[in-house]
Amino acid sequence: MSPSVSEAGPDVRAELARAQAELLAALVAGGQAPPGFDEERLRIQESSLIAKRRGAVARLRPDLVRTLGGEFAAEFTAYARGRPKPPGGSRADAHDFAEALRAAGRVSGQTAPPPAPGRRSRVRTFWRAVWGYLH
Amino acid sequence: MTDPLTGPAAASLGVGIGWRPEIDLTVERLPGVDFVEVVAENIRPDRLPESLRVLRARGVPVIPHGVGLGVGGAEPPDPDRLAHLAACAEALGSPLVSEHLAFVRAGGLEAGHLLPVPRTRRALAVVTENVRRAQDALDGVPLALENVAALFGWPEDEMTEAEFLGELVAATGVKLLVDVANLYTNQVNLGLRAVDALDVLPLSELAYVHVAGGHSHGGVWHDTHTARVPDDVLDVLAELCARVDPPGVLLEWDADYPSDEALEAELGRIRGAMARV
Repeated sequence: MSPSVSEAGPDVRAELARAQAELLAALVAGGQAPPGFDEERLRIQESSLIAKRRGAVARLRPDLVRTLGGEFAAEFTAYARGRPKPPGGSRADAHDFAEALRAAGRVSGQTAPPPAPGRRSRVRTFWRAVWGYLH
Repeated sequence: MTDPLTGPAAASLGVGIGWRPEIDLTVERLPGVDFVEVVAENIRPDRLPESLRVLRARGVPVIPHGVGLGVGGAEPPDPDRLAHLAACAEALGSPLVSEHLAFVRAGGLEAGHLLPVPRTRRALAVVTENVRRAQDALDGVPLALENVAALFGWPEDEMTEAEFLGELVAATGVKLLVDVANLYTNQVNLGLRAVDALDVLPLSELAYVHVAGGHSHGGVWHDTHTARVPDDVLDVLAELCARVDPPGVLLEWDADYPSDEALEAELGRIRGAMARV
């Protein structure tokens, strides 16, 4: 133990847990910004987190991007603001977004097409199969 | 099992690129890829992607790069996540494992992102203990921690990120993964000069370096890993290389992939920046 580093007792962990939970609630669950933070900066971070979620959902659901066109970003932001990313990651996020759109009548019918692998991966799988067949 | 190509004695990694399933073939055939990194949460050690097995068979080192451990969190690192990192390193014969100085979850919520820790003495005590637990679980495979791109700081911060990482290195022997794009991001967004960070970071403990591009929106730099590396980021890389000969430098590109030629050109620009000194 370096002399400059003190012990991490349970009270120190609890204090850090409280501080991080408060901040994260402000960033992803519509909570109030903890005192002392630059609120404008936290808003930028909140928007950045939503943009990151949106990018992942757009890659998983190009069909929704096509259907919503120029409205995709605004629709996703309206869905995601104050609503934390669900357990289950981006796939669950994409599913919940599609359900929210369907509930609001913004899209119709089946909302869960199977995700397609990347093009280069598919080409590769094909050629590997050909190679395996020939040898 | 120690692999002679990637064993602990290996000092030099060279120039590399982040392996992603979408560019697996590209990474395999790009000239000048000396090593790769794979996002640890995206693979199963018992069912490695064929492309990674091809690269390993060629002797290309593969570094598991974790994004979900949250070693800067208030909770001790999850033993299952640590076991996964260790299993990835074992399956890939990796010379090291890397993660971030960040917290990613708290109070039952997931950030989906790497958030900065409060840089206080009290938080340092927690993170130090977390890092030690991680090192124990990795069973001798070195751990490197990466500086993050931040959009805000904590009001109670007592240290810069470079100072905090320096304390962690001194207390635990953890290695450094210096992301020069993140240093640049913090310079643009928080006014923290990248060269000041380079002056403080214990670069003798450098494991490798990350380089990436991003986008500017309304005066804020977003480190998206989806664009050409700006010259300003390469300048930070050159500044780093003026201080230390980095064991490795790796390009991160995570979506909106360009042509193979464009990626090859990026690796060439990185080599150019490294050769400026």
